[in-house]
Amino acid sequence: MTAAAEPLPLAGRSRGGGLVDIAAILLLALVWEIVGRLDVSMFVPPLSSVAVAWWRLAADGTLLRAASSSLVSLVQGFVPAAVLGVALGLAMGRFAALRHVLDGWVNTLMSAPLSALVPVLIALFGIRDTVVAAAVFVFSFFVIVVNTMTGVRGTERSLVEMARSFGAGEVAQFRRVYLPSALPAIMLGLRLGAVQAVKGMVVGEMLISLVGLGERLIYYGNTFLITDLYAVIVTVLVIALGVSQLAQSADRALVHWK
Amino acid sequence: MADVMTAELAPIDRGVPSPSVGIAVESVSKAFGTVTALADVTVRVAAGEFVTLIGPSGCGKTTLLKIIAGLVLPDGGRVLVDGRPVTGPRRECSLVFQDFALLPWATVQRNVEFGLLLRGARAGERAAIARRYVTKVGLAGFEDAYPAQLSGGMQQRVGLARALAVDPRVLLMDEPFASIDEQTRRLFQDDLLALWSEERKTVVFVTHSMEEAIYLSDRVVVLSPRPGRVHRVLDVPLPRPREATDVRATVEFTRLVDNLWKILRKLQ
Repeated sequence: MTAAAEPLPLAGRSRGGGLVDIAAILLLALVWEIVGRLDVSMFVPPLSSVAVAWWRLAADGTLLRAASSSLVSLVQGFVPAAVLGVALGLAMGRFAALRHVLDGWVNTLMSAPLSALVPVLIALFGIRDTVVAAAVFVFSFFVIVVNTMTGVRGTERSLVEMARSFGAGEVAQFRRVYLPSALPAIMLGLRLGAVQAVKGMVVGEMLISLVGLGERLIYYGNTFLITDLYAVIVTVLVIALGVSQLAQSADRALVHWK
Repeated sequence: MADVMTAELAPIDRGVPSPSVGIAVESVSKAFGTVTALADVTVRVAAGEFVTLIGPSGCGKTTLLKIIAGLVLPDGGRVLVDGRPVTGPRRECSLVFQDFALLPWATVQRNVEFGLLLRGARAGERAAIARRYVTKVGLAGFEDAYPAQLSGGMQQRVGLARALAVDPRVLLMDEPFASIDEQTRRLFQDDLLALWSEERKTVVFVTHSMEEAIYLSDRVVVLSPRPGRVHRVLDVPLPRPREATDVRATVEFTRLVDNLWKILRKLQ
């Protein structure tokens, strides 16, 4: 099989593109450094001083503390969103009645600016780190539901007919045809959901400004510690990239026939 | 008695094909909404016979095939396979699909095993039977390939192997060669006839191609369009085995195809 290069946001391409990617990143870093040195604005410090700040914050444990708190919330929110999102998506894909009742809601919430919901979550959960997990859940849940449902509904009718002709009942049809057929869409949903989850994490933490990387973003922003602010932003970007890559690796491992 | 019992259990690899059975379509009618697809269709197919359904688009030939398969239930009339009425998909029947209907996520081997898997065969038995049929349809060496890596003709060979692997007594083929190029199609037709004379299944074959209908069949059932009725039934008295000789080049073959064309032309 040819390893098809799928251009995805934040995702590195397959082998051939690796060098180009690295060159592009180096070029961007160089531009950043030069613009920073030109002293255009105090809000654009040179990359080198951001690197120094990052090293300092990493060494004194600030970043690790904040990031581990963030990652715990990420996992606490994303795992239930993935499990329940796939389950609901499968059910909505298979049962028309359920789909008719929920489709409008799910689609609206998938495309809604979910940050607006965070104050509601704060009201529900209080200003605690559970709000962050809840924000992660809300941000990632709907895109997982919609993609899973779309995957189930996209199952080829002739495959279902073929399975029926060999005597497959509802359960066997679901397990042997609908589920594997929906797998690529489910994995896409989880990948998009994971990226959304990182957004939910940062938004949640910034709004309650109590824990994690989001709290550090607000703190350094409010106290004009710009290099430290950038150090945290870079950390968030690295986490987002890591999560996306992880999801993509899982996708490639499971969806090997495409 | 023992034979009847085993027919209902998981497929048993006897190594020899089961004897074929006859089909009786009795006054079958079917409507989809306000459109009558089939009206009072009666067709009998003898055990081991190769019968083709042909007719203009919309004459309900695929619907009739699906009714025989038990995938679609008729509004009126009934279908008997081996003397018993069809109320749903039956163990005796295997389908071959126009679009192949292969699982894109499964290898050739797994695709051929699929029917056996659904019918509860054990892993070792499945693998052995599937390997034999993969070889039989000429795909030895491609067991680990995925459908997307195969040509249309090869994909349909997988479809045929999957259908044969469950040891059906009736093979129902829905325009199996429609999306395969002419050269591949001719070779495949010959291979199908060779396999058929070896396994002697009862075959009901749907096609648009007059040459194909004449070349393959013992009898050709011509259906009229909307609503589908049996218009004519033609005997094809060409000698067998046809795949070994150059039947397509004979005057008799040309005459039969021409005769079929004259009948079909009036139905358009």
